[in-house]
Amino acid sequence: MSEALKTLIAACRKGEQPYQALVERVPYAQFLGIRIEARGEELSFVLPKADTNVGNPTLPALHGGAVAGFMEQAALIFLLLEMGEPKLPKTIDFTIDYLRAGLFRDTFAECRVTRLGRRIGNVNIEAWQTRRDEPIAIARAHFLLSDEGA
Amino acid sequence: MTSDTTPKYTRLEICRRFITSVRHSTELGIEVTEAEEHRVTAIMPWQARLVGNPDTGILHGGAVFAFLDQVGGLAVATRVYPSFEITPTIDFRLDHLRAPAKGKAVVGVGECYRLTEHVAFIRLTAYEEGQQHDPLATGLATYMRMKISAQNYFGKSKA
Repeated sequence: MSEALKTLIAACRKGEQPYQALVERVPYAQFLGIRIEARGEELSFVLPKADTNVGNPTLPALHGGAVAGFMEQAALIFLLLEMGEPKLPKTIDFTIDYLRAGLFRDTFAECRVTRLGRRIGNVNIEAWQTRRDEPIAIARAHFLLSDEGA
Repeated sequence: MTSDTTPKYTRLEICRRFITSVRHSTELGIEVTEAEEHRVTAIMPWQARLVGNPDTGILHGGAVFAFLDQVGGLAVATRVYPSFEITPTIDFRLDHLRAPAKGKAVVGVGECYRLTEHVAFIRLTAYEEGQQHDPLATGLATYMRMKISAQNYFGKSKA
């Protein structure tokens, strides 16, 4: 991964840069409008409601793809920060179950690293809107942890 | 005057109207190119704002996911034609076989290989334009059938 990203992660950990900077460097994360709220090193991921993320105009409901993209990006950043010596995670697979309609409101994501190996990481992600124990979607993903440039 | 059994729109028209009604998909720039009973094809142009890795310009996996999720919905729409249904995704698994090339449009193909009363089973493939033999992502998904008429969904205006 690039030296610039390594430097940025180190600066976030020291509190010299907001964690939001990790979102700002990823065009797609900005396209979705993802926010990171940090309390110390505890991060919450937020997808503020936005017209551009609507999928069903009649309900209205968020596009499942926007919710999934948000969850994948949350997992990427979460995993990046879990590693002592960060390697760039690349998504191998992403699997999602939609449990409820994602209504037109703010969405939150919580990540849990199930397994962090040398080469592969497994992350579980839950997205919710009104209550943490009523997720709108649950997902799991495998990431290849790469030293290479790309 | 057309008889009541003549559908008002072709499969391709229904799919295109569907996309037009979905704001996120219009933001992704999705365009439907072919719609047959068992197969739908759409294209998503490369856009700088959909990039996941700023160092390489490679599209974000989430953008490919959102694209194929939409293609899956289209695959149901073209299968149940001439009726129209809202079909939320139940589950979706996407495998990223390789990274899409920078600057290249992504083509998505959705095939509804089984349709039951309540569930549609869809197979999905994505590749770069002209590279159909070298897919970059494959997916499997199920969608729930919620029967609603096209008129209720699209409104009463006639195109």
